[in-house]
Amino acid sequence: MTATAHQHDSFDLEQLIPVRRRRVRLRPWFVFAFVVIVAFFGLIFSRVSLDRSGFELDDLETQIAIEEARHWDLRVEVARLQDPNRITTLAVGNGLVYPEERIAIEVPGIESEGLDDDFRWAQLKAVLTAQP
Amino acid sequence: MASRRKPNDSRLLVLGIAFAVAWAGIGYRLVRVQGFEAEDHAARGEQQRVRTEDLTAPRGTIYDRDGVELAVSIDAITVTVNPAELEDPVALARLLAPMVGEPRHVLRQRFTKPGSQFAYVARRLESAEAEQIRRFVRDSDIAGVYFSAEPKRVYPAGSLASQVVGFVRDDDMAGLEGIEWKYDEALAGVPGQQIVERDPYGNPIPQGEFIVDPAQPGADLILTIDREIEFAAQQILAQAVADTNATAGTVVVLDVDTGEVLAMASAPTFDPNNRTGADPSAYRNRAVTDVYEPGSTLKVVTVAAALEEDVVTPRTSIRVPAKLEIGDKNYTDVGRKKPRQMTVSEIVAQSSNVGTILIQDLLGNDQHYRYLAAFGLGAAASGDLPGEASGHLENVRNWCDTTCGPSTAIGYRVDVTPLQMASVFAAIANDGVWVEPHVVREVIRADGTRERFRPTERPVVSAATARVMRLMLQGVVESGTGTLAAIDSYTVGGKTGTTEKFVPGEGYSAEDRIASFIGIAPIDDPRIVVAVVLDAPHGELEDGSDLKFGGVSAAPVFAAVAEAALHRLGVPPDAR
Repeated sequence: MTATAHQHDSFDLEQLIPVRRRRVRLRPWFVFAFVVIVAFFGLIFSRVSLDRSGFELDDLETQIAIEEARHWDLRVEVARLQDPNRITTLAVGNGLVYPEERIAIEVPGIESEGLDDDFRWAQLKAVLTAQP
Repeated sequence: MASRRKPNDSRLLVLGIAFAVAWAGIGYRLVRVQGFEAEDHAARGEQQRVRTEDLTAPRGTIYDRDGVELAVSIDAITVTVNPAELEDPVALARLLAPMVGEPRHVLRQRFTKPGSQFAYVARRLESAEAEQIRRFVRDSDIAGVYFSAEPKRVYPAGSLASQVVGFVRDDDMAGLEGIEWKYDEALAGVPGQQIVERDPYGNPIPQGEFIVDPAQPGADLILTIDREIEFAAQQILAQAVADTNATAGTVVVLDVDTGEVLAMASAPTFDPNNRTGADPSAYRNRAVTDVYEPGSTLKVVTVAAALEEDVVTPRTSIRVPAKLEIGDKNYTDVGRKKPRQMTVSEIVAQSSNVGTILIQDLLGNDQHYRYLAAFGLGAAASGDLPGEASGHLENVRNWCDTTCGPSTAIGYRVDVTPLQMASVFAAIANDGVWVEPHVVREVIRADGTRERFRPTERPVVSAATARVMRLMLQGVVESGTGTLAAIDSYTVGGKTGTTEKFVPGEGYSAEDRIASFIGIAPIDDPRIVVAVVLDAPHGELEDGSDLKFGGVSAAPVFAAVAEAALHRLGVPPDAR
């Protein structure tokens, strides 16, 4: 009898205090999964961006090297064009020759002290333009 | 009641076991690869990807005094093929041969070599030439042709100052001759290294390992050489060597104030861009490597020393006999058979051997030697030219009592280079101050720092003595042995020299002479010294003058070079 009463008591207790049903909370998991996916794709995206930047950088470096090589090629070309031997050959080919008689033009006061270059140049121009 | 097994269960069991074994095998392999053999595999992978590459330091550029390139390094293109990848090597050889200037059979031989996986098509092409081949290969869709960059040294001015500038070895760009050799360490720079991860095609892997220890570029050099004057000197010298049938010749043009070498020409010459078939003797910078006995040009030192020591004055009159017998030698003057009363100025103007010996006798050996050494004889004149000879000046303690002094007085028993003699005259032109001649004006390091060459200077004779000497040298050109050195628009002075050529092992040549003329222009306000030396000129002028004499063969070369140099420097004419 006592046992039954005990049993009865415990039953009552369960009746009186309702068991709280555990609810599975999915939202954090969704958030977590979302963050993981975003991080995953973000990582891939950043990796791809870095790789792309790397390739672009490499292309730019190649371009710089090409332009630098071209710069030196052009400088060499300019130096070759300035070669006195080439210029002399061209000049002779065009009929230019050294004059047989050298004429020295004396400009009055051109060597005197105290005259500035502009004044001397004006004098020289006056003499040169007066030549027949 | 025991449950009955279905027939499928046993098959599933077998399949399960098979899967389990397979997974176990994979797992075992995984553990082995990732665990026990991980380091080994990682190392092998690294070995395939990571490459340590040497970075060549760009070789410095050599400029003339106006900043125009005389020697420059460019990235040339080398074209290679992998014969194993070529579809039709014979046809490709036929098509590429005219583009690279190689005979067809040579390329065909390279492309069809059995088992070969590498062959050169052309090395160190300039970009325009390489671009033509690249376009052809791309348009024709030919596989197995590759392009790579290789450094190449280019000399845009060709043979201009080639003996001064020198050249490098093609393979490793090491300097072999000239300034390229002497300044090789500065020009070469310091090579660097890079550690880089590359894919199987050789492209760098982004985000891969990339460690760079950059190369330090070589220093640039600015020379004192003036291209216009150098060109004029080379042209005039080459013509003179041809006209006088000389075996070789040298011209040096010095700036008297600074000691800068404006031109240094040697004939024969060569083109450093194409040395195939060039005579190696043409590589020699004869202005500093070849020594000769200066002959009468050295009388300048003898007379200047005597003037400085007040032993004589320009007007001192000396009775000069027809000949002097000293020891076993007879000293005479060319074209004079009788004794004559001559002033010191006349002795210089007429280049009297006997008169100069008498002046040297008044001076004494010790004093004479002191001045010879002070003028820089017996020691290399410049420190920046390779292979420079110091010449020979016997110590006065070893001079004999008989012919040593007299012979030295007239330019024998002393070995000099043309540069040394040019610097002697430059001292006379520079009011008695000797300035160290030099070719390199400035070194510009990769970090931008500039080191300008500071030449050593020393007074040798007084300004008064130098001025008197210049007047005497003017007399040589106006009425002495050097009249062919005269220039229409400028007053000049100088001294002729003619010596018997000494051939090592044979003694003095009976036929060959060394003809020279060294002069100063303009004589009143000196700007340049021009030294001309012709080796063994032969023949005669139309008037019968013998070309073996310096006054006949070398003096006109001086006149032509000096006039061109004075025009180039913008020196106003001073002759009326």
